Amino acid sequence: MKLLVLILLLLSFNISAVTPETESAKLLLERFSQSLRHLNFTASFVVVKNNQVKPYHWFHGVADNNQELEILTQLNGFRHDILRQGKMVSYIEPEQEPYSMISNDIQGPIPSIFRGDISQLEENYRFISVGRSRILGRVAQLIRIVAKDKYRLSYWLWLDQKTALPLKIAILTRKGSLLEQVQFTHIEMNDELSDNLIQLQSTELPKVISSSNQQNHSNLSWQVDWLPRGFKVLKSNKHNLNTYNRGGDRAVEFMLFSDGLVDISVYVNSSQEKFRDPEYANDGATMVFNHIAQGIEVSVVGDIPLITAKKIAKSIGPAIINNAVSDDLNSVREP
Amino acid sequence: MSEIKSESVSSLIDNYSPSADDNISTHLVDNMLKDESLSSTWQNYHLIGDVLRDEVPQSLQLDLSQTIAEAIAQEATILSPNSSTQAASQALAYNHDSSAGDTFVDKEESIQTSNVVNAIDRFKAKMSNLIKPMGQVAIAASAAALMIVGVQYNVADSSITPSQVVQTVPLSGYANPVSFSVQSPQIEQTYQNQQQTQQAMDEQLAAEKIAQHRRLQSLLQDHKQQIK
Repeated sequence: MKLLVLILLLLSFNISAVTPETESAKLLLERFSQSLRHLNFTASFVVVKNNQVKPYHWFHGVADNNQELEILTQLNGFRHDILRQGKMVSYIEPEQEPYSMISNDIQGPIPSIFRGDISQLEENYRFISVGRSRILGRVAQLIRIVAKDKYRLSYWLWLDQKTALPLKIAILTRKGSLLEQVQFTHIEMNDELSDNLIQLQSTELPKVISSSNQQNHSNLSWQVDWLPRGFKVLKSNKHNLNTYNRGGDRAVEFMLFSDGLVDISVYVNSSQEKFRDPEYANDGATMVFNHIAQGIEVSVVGDIPLITAKKIAKSIGPAIINNAVSDDLNSVREP
Repeated sequence: MSEIKSESVSSLIDNYSPSADDNISTHLVDNMLKDESLSSTWQNYHLIGDVLRDEVPQSLQLDLSQTIAEAIAQEATILSPNSSTQAASQALAYNHDSSAGDTFVDKEESIQTSNVVNAIDRFKAKMSNLIKPMGQVAIAASAAALMIVGVQYNVADSSITPSQVVQTVPLSGYANPVSFSVQSPQIEQTYQNQQQTQQAMDEQLAAEKIAQHRRLQSLLQDHKQQIK
């Protein structure tokens, strides 16, 4: 009898060992995105980057009519609030009148893909379940989302084993140096909508403004010839770069690419200067890169390593056949 | 009455019971413990006795218990601030006495303190503010300048500025032997010239740097806007 139990026990171990780590990691990530969409919770977290700490308050809930309600508010400094009623997302920011946009997710410190379909990341990232640790007094499962190539950053997620809600998120370089962290300091599950969300339900959100003005691919005279695998164009247009209350708006050609997790903006414009050395700055994980070569100013912004930004900037070339640009970008080439 | 009592205290100290009855002396001791003036008399008589018998220690041992008790009592009032509500009520109370101008400022202050303490209330206030966003725009003007300063700092830390290489040149010139510069004023002058050009270069660098920060900042800003 004892032997039988032992054998059964061994067998069960074997079965769990057979399940690949990636599978369990993926399952947990799917639970994570479910939780982010369907649970009522109140959370506080801090974002640590550039030697600074920014605290946030976050309310999420689902109303009776299945509408998602969400409030994300920055607690220090100027008002940066995001309110969401279903597909209406309102931003309250300094320098601007509050405005709303039609969108399915809020652009906060937590990448929006985590509310969506995780499996679209599988092409370029590996999910690795690493182990358990104690975060925020709970049992947390650490999952690493590691890029398959060297042109992306890694994301480490500590998820609550019970609720699959995030407890800590870190963005690291491939070599493991920390760029940005989100550390939760409080998570509370609510059965009912919290007072703030009930109040939000009856609040009239500000007017919707359309974000994408021109979707005119053919007008662009420059194109990106190299991008890491899997980046697709989301937007491309010409607009004026808001040069931060200093006047002198400059018109740029703009392209936005995404691999699902990371967004890269590319700006191209001609310049009076012939040449300027590359310069860059980091805002946490976000790289801002800028240079002028042969009278063309190229800027690349996104959560990417420097080499990627440099490589993209170098690959800018004149658009060959205007009509083919969009097709060209969709089928991205590896060097 | 007290005369008689202090007399009996005195005789008690002298090891002589004022009454043959033990009960009465016990009663006296009990009384003495209750009565403050009597116990201080008891203390004083002992001190007098000590002085007469020349038994006073080199440094007079004063009764510390009283001062310590007082200090603790005093500290206790300082150590128990009733956080915001007290501060707010104090500020409000103060308002009633002060002039009209002061009142306004204080009220503002008290409102601020309660705001900071109660984050939820503050947030609720924000929500209702949503309908009238004018106040927020007023803040914005000062916001812009500050933000740029903040970013300048950040960028300075992490960016590569090619011009930093230039800066080291005059520094290496300065490292010549001391006698060398004393001998020839000409060299000093060239050094001065160098300094001047250096200064001009620094200014140019600073301007360039600010331009650079503005550039990068506006790019970052636009990127954040675009990915919404």
